Amino acid sequence: MELSRIFIIIISASLINNFVLSRFLGLCPFIGVSKKMDSAIGMGMAVTFVLTLASIIIYLVNKYVLLALHVEFLRTVTFILVIAALVQLVEMFIQKFSPILYEALGIYLPLITTNCAVLGATLINVSEKYNLLESTAHGFGAGVGFTIALILMSSIREKLENSKIPESFKGAPTAFLAAGIISLIFLCFKGIIAE
Amino acid sequence: MKIAEFTKGFIKENPIFVIMLGLCPTLAVSTKTVYGLGMGLATTVVLLGSNTIISLIKNFIPDKIRIPSYIVVIATFVTIVDYMLHAYVPPLHKALGIFIPLIVVNCIILGRAEAFASKNNVGDSILDALGIGLGFTLSLTILALIRELLGSGTITLKMLDYGWVWKIKGFKPLSIMILPPGAFITIGILMGIFNHFKMKAEGKK
Amino acid sequence: MYNISVSPHIHSKESISRIMWDVVIALIPALLASIYFFGMRAFWMEVVTVIAAVLSEIFIKLLLKRKITISDGSAVVTGLLVAYNMPVGAPFYVPVVGAVFAIVIVKELFGGLGNNIFNPALAGRVFVMFAWLPEMTTWHAPLKSGWWQHGFNFFSAKLDAVTTATPLAVAKLQGLSNLVAQFSDKADMYWNLFIGNCGGCIGETSALALLIGALYLLKRKVIIPVIPVTYIATVFVVTYLAGADPVFHILAGGLMLGAFFMATDYVTTPITIKGMIIFGIGAGLMTVLLRLKGGLPEGVSFSILLMNTLSPLIDRYTAKRKIYGYKK
Repeated sequence: MELSRIFIIIISASLINNFVLSRFLGLCPFIGVSKKMDSAIGMGMAVTFVLTLASIIIYLVNKYVLLALHVEFLRTVTFILVIAALVQLVEMFIQKFSPILYEALGIYLPLITTNCAVLGATLINVSEKYNLLESTAHGFGAGVGFTIALILMSSIREKLENSKIPESFKGAPTAFLAAGIISLIFLCFKGIIAE
Repeated sequence: MKIAEFTKGFIKENPIFVIMLGLCPTLAVSTKTVYGLGMGLATTVVLLGSNTIISLIKNFIPDKIRIPSYIVVIATFVTIVDYMLHAYVPPLHKALGIFIPLIVVNCIILGRAEAFASKNNVGDSILDALGIGLGFTLSLTILALIRELLGSGTITLKMLDYGWVWKIKGFKPLSIMILPPGAFITIGILMGIFNHFKMKAEGKK
Repeated sequence: MYNISVSPHIHSKESISRIMWDVVIALIPALLASIYFFGMRAFWMEVVTVIAAVLSEIFIKLLLKRKITISDGSAVVTGLLVAYNMPVGAPFYVPVVGAVFAIVIVKELFGGLGNNIFNPALAGRVFVMFAWLPEMTTWHAPLKSGWWQHGFNFFSAKLDAVTTATPLAVAKLQGLSNLVAQFSDKADMYWNLFIGNCGGCIGETSALALLIGALYLLKRKVIIPVIPVTYIATVFVVTYLAGADPVFHILAGGLMLGAFFMATDYVTTPITIKGMIIFGIGAGLMTVLLRLKGGLPEGVSFSILLMNTLSPLIDRYTAKRKIYGYKK
């Protein structure tokens, strides 16, 4: 029972309510990093890692600090500071263990802090009242969906490099149009879950 | 105080169409005109608050902790706006949902703090905040207007019994426009058109 | 110096023209079937949509200062395909907007013929489907008689025909046996599905008409059978394994139209044979998943579009050498 619910949460967050294409979370890096496949995959994995870890830590902070001390109004400040600290740690970790990835991600790594997907996922975990396991699954699913969207976008944008797109539409405008059509296609997943 | 600091937020450094920051709330809340207006103004208020405070205390913050301290300032203003909207304009609060607390990660605000408020005096920082904030609000409201008009056939400028709602008669709206694909496609086209005129204007100089 | 062209099937202007007009010819049997089963309204819808497609191509090309090549027939093909995906009762503005969206946004803004990622007609169809969902999900039964009696009516359809559910919808919501009950027996049902005597979009119902056109294209070497055969075979096998009726699923819905006329678009599908097989299998799996488990009774359009989205990725991993350019 638990397992199928977890599975549904993951599928839901990654395909049916894809964070980028359906919930509009994580758009800045989505447009910014989706030009090359390699950086897209790297960014996707980094964000998934942060999302999963953040879901766990923030769940604990929310439960044992904010709710215990009745200081819910500090939620926004606390959550974002925890995320910022987490990203710093992840950054140092990657720098130490994979300097190549660190180079490739460059400025985009610290920018994960301002990635609405991370804060967004944790806020949704709270509003949906997920328990620890569900929160973790949700964060993980969100990351998977984000990565899928990034990979699809980057493969398309790499192909579009050689297309004769009108000058004023090159880059971001066409990326948005492509995202729109992919988002249109993803709408077909909406009906699948009712079980 | 330079007036250019105020006007740059509308075209040259338009936060949505040029710098492309704050995309998440832009696409998410632009389903009704009044929501776009509300989000834009809420963001402007936070921007004003944070730019002002950061510009005032910039000399007292040690460099090492400047980003976290900016975040605390911004988050504080976001929390204030969040609770005030919840208390005084509940329908708007409900419609904007998680995108109100998400103002804290709206890169526009941290960006302006880092790029401008930390390096300029209070007066210029206020103008900067107003210019960028209002440029953001204007772009967001226009986007919301287009989406609502095409997607629902209405223009809603009503909140809590103030204002009005205008409806086109005999128009079968394209429901897709208020769904995510409509958002992406609308902003893609708007950005392309915006770029076109911007490039034309720059080519003429 | 490399000369970069996107779809490496390097065609001359004349050959693109020949291909497109061959496709138009291949679509004529389905056109005749649409008139026979749904009346003159189907014909007028097709005419209006094609005109809309051609005009939007002229308009956008003038705006973008590109050469106008409507004589190559590609706009006509897109217009026809959009129309074929319409229920006969849809107000004419639905396919018109679909055609404009397909040509202007999906095709031209992505770089024009040869550069688009997504099948324009299908993307246009899906766009208007969610724009005007009720209009796009109301079907009429085929005419019992008198195809010449139903004329032109732009905004609404005043048809004598009764609204009905498509075979796929009946099978999905009420079970296949309920559908069989509408005919004398199973074989009778198969026959009617095959010739197109059932509810559905005007160009998709007649498997017979579409197959005739497909055979023409195969003979003229405009399409190769890899994707259509793989796609249809996958649907057959998977529906059988899932406990559904495979023959029914091959004949019902938009599978024939999709497999032979949309999934064979060389621009939006993989380049290598291996890639094409992956495309066919992927589309087949997705179609069955959506038909059996999805919210809507049909899944062909989404499946093909999804595979279009994956095609650059498929090419990346199956194409052995850098094929996006040749040395000048």
